[in-house]
This record gives sequence, structure tokens and C-alpha cells, in this order.
Amino acid sequence: MKTLFFAAFAVYAVSVVLEFTGTAFKKEKLLRAAWIVFLAAFALHTIFFIARGVAARRLPLSNQFEFANGFAWGAALLSIVVCGRGRADWLKIAALPAVLLIMTYAALQPMEIRDLMPALRSAWFGVHIGSAVLAYAAFVIAGCIGVRYLVFSKREEPDNKALDQMDYLSYRLVSFGFLFLTVVILSGAIWAEQAWSSFWSWDPKEVWALITWIIYAVYLHLRLRGKHRGKKMALFLVVAVFLVFFTFAGVNTLMHGMHTYG
Amino acid sequence: MKRILAYLRSMRFGILLLVLIAACSVVGTVIPQEREVAWYAQTYSSFHGAILLLRFDRIFTSWYFILLLGLLGLNLTLCSILRVASVVRAAKSESERTAHLRDTVLLTPEGVAALRDKLLGMRCRVEKLGECEVFTKRSLGRYGTFLTHLAILLTLVFGALALYTPTVTDQRCMPGESIRMSDGTEIWVQDFRITDETGRLDYTSHIRITLPNGRRSEIAELKVNHPFRFGGCKLFQQSFGTAGSVTVTNLETGGSDVFLLDEMSYLTIDSRNAIVFEQLYPDFLRAPDGEVTLITRTEGAYPNPIYAFEILADGEYTPSLAVPGDSLEILGLRFTFNTPVDYPGLRIKQVPTLLNSLLIAAFCLMILGLFITFFCEPVAVKLDAEGYAVGGPKPERMRVELAALDEKYLREGEKET
Repeated sequence: MKTLFFAAFAVYAVSVVLEFTGTAFKKEKLLRAAWIVFLAAFALHTIFFIARGVAARRLPLSNQFEFANGFAWGAALLSIVVCGRGRADWLKIAALPAVLLIMTYAALQPMEIRDLMPALRSAWFGVHIGSAVLAYAAFVIAGCIGVRYLVFSKREEPDNKALDQMDYLSYRLVSFGFLFLTVVILSGAIWAEQAWSSFWSWDPKEVWALITWIIYAVYLHLRLRGKHRGKKMALFLVVAVFLVFFTFAGVNTLMHGMHTYG
Repeated sequence: MKRILAYLRSMRFGILLLVLIAACSVVGTVIPQEREVAWYAQTYSSFHGAILLLRFDRIFTSWYFILLLGLLGLNLTLCSILRVASVVRAAKSESERTAHLRDTVLLTPEGVAALRDKLLGMRCRVEKLGECEVFTKRSLGRYGTFLTHLAILLTLVFGALALYTPTVTDQRCMPGESIRMSDGTEIWVQDFRITDETGRLDYTSHIRITLPNGRRSEIAELKVNHPFRFGGCKLFQQSFGTAGSVTVTNLETGGSDVFLLDEMSYLTIDSRNAIVFEQLYPDFLRAPDGEVTLITRTEGAYPNPIYAFEILADGEYTPSLAVPGDSLEILGLRFTFNTPVDYPGLRIKQVPTLLNSLLIAAFCLMILGLFITFFCEPVAVKLDAEGYAVGGPKPERMRVELAALDEKYLREGEKET
């Protein structure tokens, strides 16, 4: 099982190397190869994800390793969707390393399959954690678009159409992520009432999910005002990704609470 | 006054409140909450005075945090709820306003025809207004933000009520025994087990509730994630514990009694002789030389329990250990150590059913509101013989969707209004 994970990890790494090399030397063939290799890595990753779920006989999203693995898978899936449907090839150079970075974090976590603790055996498990995977992945890809926006806008003659497309795509991704983050928080509240008797306990993970929600709510409102677009908002998204990573990994590492499952 | 009201309902004020709430929340996770004053004094030494003064030790119940939430509620009410009438008016006059827009993109006649087909293919509603046609769709999308803000407001109100109005009591109850609440509700625990048949952790009790009016529930299974509700009472499987058990037999009379030992207990025989039960350990290791190492932590049921106690004989204490099945005799009494008993820690919550239902309804409304906001964006396109203009509150998506068409049929280049 581990071999499959590390195989996917290695193939992702190869795709990143090819993407960087292709971009540095402006070799179209290398860039195409990088994308094919990335798709192959995603296929391997999907097989691992399913195999892990079959072996564990549950949705494989219960501990830090499994969540990070799911998070990377979600980010890869959204990259493929955005690059495919949104005709956004410019995203690859930022999205591919981001997926690899999350996979690296996953690779550093204990990987053994453990039985679900009683508090996690609930119908809400899939809704709550599955939504978190999609929300975080959307925010990370939006952050990647932010990075690309900042790089593109520094060019002497930036392509305004491409910049507008980036701005709009990142907004759509944040909308998608925000909806799913709301599902995470609300389904978590209902589940918490069933498991711990209270909808809200001001647990660090809950609070940081709320902080992340507030920060993206601020983004959506600022953008709605119309004045705030372009560079400022791209920078906002890049900074907000660090917040997402803190909520995902930092809280579990640095703070103790009811969400400390391992 | 008007200026104050305008500020209170502004998005700027709303954003400021959100940022302040987020900042307070950060403080609330960095500084551990609701500890003893001595703990803050020891941990933060010279800063602890400021922490206590600013209520950073209980920030989520501090007056200023509650004030911020209240102001957010006010902002939501003023900016969104009271504006609903103008939103409805705007929705009704959407077509007229769109019809008055100047064309922003000029298309060839083929382009105009292609766009018309595209908009009809999207099942837009068509209205002929003067020289132009206005295509509209998803007018419900206008109400997305209103529904979301209303849901947040309801969540704040019902959430506060759900958090602070229920009566919550934590009780432990030995299997076979009952607990009686102050209002007369009685809860009887038939049995409790820590693991299921396969050895997997699965804290399960069988309980029965008798209400003060004599109404009695069936025996129900209570597990983590599966609370049991009866009347206005909701029971949760909250925690568990393991208590030692000792049978004391009077060797003269043959009479015996069973004592449960959950904490340090003194079983006094007379003023100078007693047994002091110190602790029940879940597990132990015995070295080849006979030395015993006691293990304090284990997950789930006690695999290898051992009693630690002291015998007080004529004023002298002698530490001893015993495993279930061992017995000892002192001054005509026999103490037999039994297999420990697992017991549940129950949380009893008395809360009106309606309140939880209302809160969950507010949650559903919020999801619906966000879905409508982000994925049902209203469409309003004015089309005439020259070209088109996109109207509505959120024209961006439609502009992006029509961009591909522009490239193919653009007549004179894009014209800014």
C-alpha cells in the first residue's frame, strides 16, 4: 500500500521537475509531458485513495496522513478541472508544486491504518471531512492562481484578458471553497451536538475554521465592493492560503483540543 | 443620525466587525481559556494582570466579544434584512434597467443571431422592450445574499439560545443503579460495556428514563454519536470510568456486602485497623524478581487490573497489591477483590426540541443562501441589432461565458460604457 502512495508521490515530483524545466527553457513538449505525467500521478493517487478506503473499510480521511492525502488529491482534482475546463494552462506551474507540497506533508505523517474511534463513527464523518477536503483544496488552488496573477501582472505588458480570467477563476474557486467550508462548520456543529452535546465548544479547530471562514468572507465582500480587484486580492488569496495550512496542520500540531485525533 | 445609521449598515462596518471577531478568536485560541487564576499567574507571570483585566482568559464570554456579535447582528439586520424591499423592487425593474444599458460589445449580424440562439438555448426568459430584447434568467439569485445574511442572523440568535439556555448535568451511574435529577426525572442504567463483541471500542449503555409525571421510556441503547431523547431530556454517552469492587464478609456471621471503590476509600474496622484503597491500576508488569511495575494508562477496558491498598494494623501502614480473586482476612473480616466494574459518565441535557430544530433550519437556509448566491447568479442580457450589454447585479459570469462568442463575432472591438 505504501509503495503505491510513494509511487504517486514520485510521479508527482517528476511532473513538477518537467513543468519547471519546460517553463525555464520554454519547451512546449516538456510542458505537455509534465501534464501527462501529472495525470498519471493523479491516477495512481486515486488508486491508492480507493485501495486505502477498501483496506480501512471506511472513508480514508480520519487522521493527519489520510486527511493530507485527501487534501492533495482534492487539490490535484481541482487543478485538472480548472486547467481542463477553464483553459488555464498558466495555473500548472503553481498548482503542481502545491500538490507535491501537500503530498510531502502527508508523507511525513504516520501512515498505519487505525480503527475509527467511537466519536468518529458517524454518518456526518463523510460530509464534514469530505467537504473540508474540497474547501481547503479550492482555497489552495485559488492561492496558486493568486501567485500566478502576481507574477503575470509584473510583466511589462501584462495580458489584461488573462489577468481578468485569473481574477474571476480565483473568485469562483473561493466561492466554491467558501460554500464547502460553511458545510464543514455547520455539519460539524450538528455532529458535535450529537457526539459532545454542544453545537459549539470554542475548540481551537472550530475557532480556526471560523477564522478561515471569516477571512474568506472578507475577501468575498471586498471583491463585491468592486474597488478591490486584481493585485490586492491576489495577494490576499496567497496570504490566506497560509491560514488554511495553519488551520489544517498548525492547529493539530500546536494546540490541543477535541479534534486531536492523531 | 442618518450618517451613523448609514455607517452601521455599511459593508465597511461589517468587515471591520468580522476582522475584530477573528482577532478576538485568535487570542482565544492562543491563550488557554477558563483556567484558574493561579495558572495564568504562573504561566504568564507579569502579563497575567493584563490578561485577566482584558478578560483574555474568558474572551468568548467577555462583554466586548458579545458586543461585537451583537453589532454584527445589527449590521446584518440593517444592511440586508431592512433592504429586502429595495432588492425586490430592483428585481422587478431588472428588465427595464437592462434595456437602458448601452451596448458594451458590438457584434456582426451573425454574432447577434448566434448570441440570440445561445441565450434561448440557456432557457432565458425573453422580453421585447422597444428596439431591443432583454433575456433574463435565475432572478432568484438576487435573493441569495439576503437569505445568507438572514440565516447568519438566525444562527446567531438560535445558536446563543442553544448554547446558553439548556440545563446540562454530568452524572456517573453504576450499572444496575439509578440517578434522580432535581426535577424528579429518574435515569436507570441497566448495563454498560466499553468494547463490542469484536473487541472494538464502543461505549454502550442500556438505559431507561422515567419522567416526573411517571411516563417511562423503553430500555434504549445509548452510544457515542447516538444520544437518546425522551420528553425534554436528552442523554449523551459522555465519558466512562472503572471502579474497583470488594466483597467484605463477616466470618462470624457469614453476612457480606459489596463496596465499589471509585476513589481513595477507607474501610475502617476499628480506630486502629483499616484498609485504605488507594487506586485501581489498569495494568501491571511483573519482573522475574517479582517486582511489580504499575501501568497508569491504557485505552478502553482494563486488561489486567490490580488494586493498590494499604493495611492499617495497630497504627502501622503496610502497602499491598491484589488482583481480582485475591482475598485477605483481618480481624474476622474477609476482603475479596472482585473484577472491576465499568460505568458510564452520562451527560443529561434538558433543552426544548424546537430550539435545535430551528437552529438546524437556519443552517440549511445558510447553505441554500450561499448556493443561490454563488451558483444561481442572475442573468440579464440586452440584445439589439448592434450588439449586447450584460446587466444584473453580478454580470461578471455572463461576460466570461460570452467572451468566446465575442472573439468569433466581434465587429468593432469592445466598447466601454
